[in-house]
Amino acid sequence: MMRKEHAKLNPKRLLQDNSVPLMFVVICLICLPLAGYSPSYLLNELVTRMGRNTFLILSLLIPIMAGMGLNFGMTLGAMAGEIALILVADWQIWGIPGIVLAMIVSIPISILLGVFCGNMLNKAKGREMITSYFISFFMNGVYQLVVLFMMGPIIPIMHATLKLPRGYGIRNTVSLLNMRQQLDNLLAINVGGVKIPVLTFLIIGVLCLVIIWFRRTKLGQDMRAVAQDMEVARDAGINVDRTRIIAIVMSTVMAGFGMIIYLQNLGNFPTYNAHVQIGTFSIAALLVGGASVEKASIGNAFLGVILFHMMFILAPETGTTITGDSMIGEYFRTFVSYGVITVALIMYETKKRMIKSQTGHLLALAQKEEEERAK
Amino acid sequence: MKSRRLIFQILLVLILIAIGGTMMVIGRGHTVYFDNKSLDYQGSTYASPYKIEIYQGSSAEGDALSKLYDGERASATQIGQKITVTLVITQEKGGDEADPVTYTIDLPYNMDGPIINLPAYLAGLPEEAYLSEFIPVITEDPDEEVPTGGDDMSLGDF
Amino acid sequence: MDRTDMEKTLENRDLMARFSFAARFGLPRTIIAGFVLLLFIMAPIVGADLTMQIGNVINRFSWNAVLVLAMVPMIHSGCSLNFGIPLGIIAGLLGGTLSIQLGFTGPVSFFMAILLATPFALLAGGGYGWLLNRIKGGEMMIATYVGLSSIAFMCMMWLLLPYTSPTMVWGLAGKGLRTTISLTGFYEKALANFLAIPIDPANGLYFPTGTILFFAVLALAVWAFFRTKTGTAMTAVGSNPLFARASGINVDRMRLLSVVMSTWLGAVGILVYQQGFGFMQLYMAPNNMTLPTVAAILIGGAAVNKASIAHVIIGTILYQSVVTLTPTVMTAMIHMDVSEVVRIIISNGMILYALTRKVKGGSK
Repeated sequence: MMRKEHAKLNPKRLLQDNSVPLMFVVICLICLPLAGYSPSYLLNELVTRMGRNTFLILSLLIPIMAGMGLNFGMTLGAMAGEIALILVADWQIWGIPGIVLAMIVSIPISILLGVFCGNMLNKAKGREMITSYFISFFMNGVYQLVVLFMMGPIIPIMHATLKLPRGYGIRNTVSLLNMRQQLDNLLAINVGGVKIPVLTFLIIGVLCLVIIWFRRTKLGQDMRAVAQDMEVARDAGINVDRTRIIAIVMSTVMAGFGMIIYLQNLGNFPTYNAHVQIGTFSIAALLVGGASVEKASIGNAFLGVILFHMMFILAPETGTTITGDSMIGEYFRTFVSYGVITVALIMYETKKRMIKSQTGHLLALAQKEEEERAK
Repeated sequence: MKSRRLIFQILLVLILIAIGGTMMVIGRGHTVYFDNKSLDYQGSTYASPYKIEIYQGSSAEGDALSKLYDGERASATQIGQKITVTLVITQEKGGDEADPVTYTIDLPYNMDGPIINLPAYLAGLPEEAYLSEFIPVITEDPDEEVPTGGDDMSLGDF
Repeated sequence: MDRTDMEKTLENRDLMARFSFAARFGLPRTIIAGFVLLLFIMAPIVGADLTMQIGNVINRFSWNAVLVLAMVPMIHSGCSLNFGIPLGIIAGLLGGTLSIQLGFTGPVSFFMAILLATPFALLAGGGYGWLLNRIKGGEMMIATYVGLSSIAFMCMMWLLLPYTSPTMVWGLAGKGLRTTISLTGFYEKALANFLAIPIDPANGLYFPTGTILFFAVLALAVWAFFRTKTGTAMTAVGSNPLFARASGINVDRMRLLSVVMSTWLGAVGILVYQQGFGFMQLYMAPNNMTLPTVAAILIGGAAVNKASIAHVIIGTILYQSVVTLTPTVMTAMIHMDVSEVVRIIISNGMILYALTRKVKGGSK
C-alpha cells in the first residue's frame, strides 16, 4: 500500500512505469500530421478496430493473472474459431445465428486445445512463454493437416465453393459474406459520420464484467495465489496444475470468440494465415497499453488497442510521405510490434533478477544480524 | 457438492447444444430464386403472367425486389425456413395491376438455392411441381493456387 | 500386489530394458530416425531415384551444417537454444551484400563476404551477449524476439541503405535491394565446386567436397576449442554456473564469448548456405532459417543445455532427409503433398519436446 502511494506521488517513477504508452503517444503525434488523414476517417477506423480487436486482447488477461505470462498460445483459440467458422459457412447458417453457432462450435475445440496447451505448460514451468510460442507453431502444423487434408474426406464439407478443386482441403480464402459485420451492424448507431458497433462493444463490456467478477471468485483468488508462489499455493491446498490448465482453457475459449468477432468484421479470411500473426499483434497491443508480463488490467487492454492501432493506421502512410516507399511503414509497424514485445520481456527479466538479488541481499543482512545477536 | 457441480455442467452443455440446435434451424440461409416461366405439369400448361412485381415481406410498400416479366428470374436471400413475399400481378400487357397478395412459402432445409416457379405456385400445384434446386456452376480458375502452408510470417494488417 | 501385477511389472521392466536404446536416444528421435529409414526404404519402391535422393541429402547437409553448428557454443555456455540466430544471419547478409557491392566476384567474393561480415557479427554478437547476460534465465524468449525485431529493422534498412550494384537493387527504382539476389558470377558454389565429385552429372548432382571440407574444418575448430582451457571453462559455466564462479571463472565473459562465436558462425553459416543454394534471400527470409536450425540440432540429440558436434551432424542429416524425401516419397505413396505439414509438425514438435523435458542438473 505504502509503495503504491509512493509511486503515485513520484513523477519520475510514474514516467518510468508508463514509458511505453508515452512513447506511443509521441509516435502517434509525430505521425498524425505526416499521414494527413481526416479526423473522421481516423476515428471511424479506430472505432472499427477497437470493436474488432479488444475481445482478442482481453483473452490474454487471465493467464497473466495466473502468473503464466503472455499467452502466445491464444493462437490456438483463433484456430478453433476459424475451424468453427469454416464448418458454419459450410452448413450455410447465416447472420447472427451463424456467429452464435460458430462460437458454440468453437468451445469444445478450444477446450481440447487449451487442455493440451495447459498440460504442456505445466511440464515447462518457468518457461511458459517460449513453450506457448512453439505450441502455437506446432498447432499451426496440425491446423494445416486438418484443414488442408482432412476437410473433405474425413470432415464432410459439402460446398464446392469452400473446397479446393482437387476435392479435399479448404480454399485459400473463406468467404463469410453472409455474416459479414452482422454483429457490428445490429444496434449500430451513427454519430457524426462515425459508425459505432454498439452490440460488439456491449459484448466486450460483458466480458470485462465477467473478468472483474472472476477475479473475486475462489478460482480467481487461487490463480493469483498460484501466480504469487506455486509452492505456497500448493501447501495451501490449491491444485496448482489444474488451476493453471483452467486459466489457459479460459483464455483459449475467449480467444476463439474473439477471433470470430474479428473475422465477422472482416467478412472473409485467409484460411492459412489469418491466425499466424494474431498472437503477436494482440500481445504487442496489450503491452503498448502499459501492461507487463506479470500485470495487466482491462484499462491496459483498451489504452493499448487505441494507441497500437493508431500507430498501425498511421505508419504506412507516414512512411510513404517520408521515404516515398509504402513498404517502409509496413516494416516499421512490424518492427515496432516486435520491438515492444522485446522491450517488455527484457524489462520483466531484469526486474525479476533485481528482485531476486534484492531478496538475496536482504536474506544475507538478516543472517548477519542474527549472527551478531547470537554473539 | 461435487454432484451438484456435475449437474450444473451437464445442464450448461445441454443448454449450449440447445442454443446451437436452435441456431441451426433459425439461421439456415437460403438464396431463393423466383421464376416467371410457364410450366408443363401432368399434361397441362400453366402460363406465366405478363409481369409480377415481387416485394420481400408482407406488404407492397417500399422498393420492389424485382419486376419479373415473362421468362425472367429474380433472387432473394432469406434466413430461416420460410419466405414471405407480396406479389402484384399484371396478367396482360397494358392490363390493370391486381391487388397485392401476400404468400408465405416453405423452404426445404437442405436446399441452398430453391427455385420457385411462380405460375405453378400460384396455381396451387404441389411442392414437387413448383420447387427445384439451383445448382451453381463453379467456374474453375484453372490456376487456383493450392496453398502450401508454411510457417512464414506474413506482414498483414490486423 | 498379486502375481499378475507383478508379472506385468516385470514384463514392463523387460520391455524397458529392451527399448533402453530408445530411452537413451529419446523417443521422438527414435521415431524420426525410424521415419527417415522408412523413407529411404520406400524411395526405390515408389520409383524415386535413390542415388539422386541421397545426393540431394548430402548437398542440403552441406548447405545447412554450419548454421546448425552455430547453435553449439551458446548451448555449451548455458545460453540455451540460439533463437537469436537471425542476428548472425543478418551479419552474414551484410557481409554478402557488401562484398558484391564492392565489386568482388567469383570465389574471392565468398571469402571477402566472410571477412566483411565478421565485424558486424562481432558487434551484433557482443551487444546480444551483453543483453543475454542481463536477463539470465529468460534467454530463449528474448532471443526469439531480438531475432524478430532485428529482421524487421533490417527490412527497413535493405530498402534505405545506399546500395547501388545493379545486380542487387530493383531495376526500375534503382534503389532498395531485391528480395532474392542471384549469386551466379559471385560466390555461387564457391566451395562446392572445389574438388567436386560427380554423382549424377546429367542432373547437375555433384558431391560438394569443398563445402564438406569447410564444415569439417570449422567443426574441428569448435571441437578443438572446447578442449582448450577457455573451452572447458565455457562448458563449466554451462553445466554449473555457481561452481564455475566459485572456481574463478568470469561467467559473464564466457557467456559473451560463446554468443559472439555463435553469431559469427551464424554469419558464416548463411554464406555457406547461400553459396550452395545460389541465391541470397533478404527481408523476412532469415526468419525461415531459425526453425530448421534449432530443430536439426535437437533431432540430433542435443538438449536445451547439452550439444556436441555429433549432434550437429546426425541432426542435420536426419532433418534434411525428412525435408528432401517426404515430398517425393509421401506424395507417391498417398497422393497428397503433406511434406510441408510434416516438416512443421516435426520441427516444432521436436522443440516442444526439448522444452518440456525435465532438465537434469545445471542451470535452468
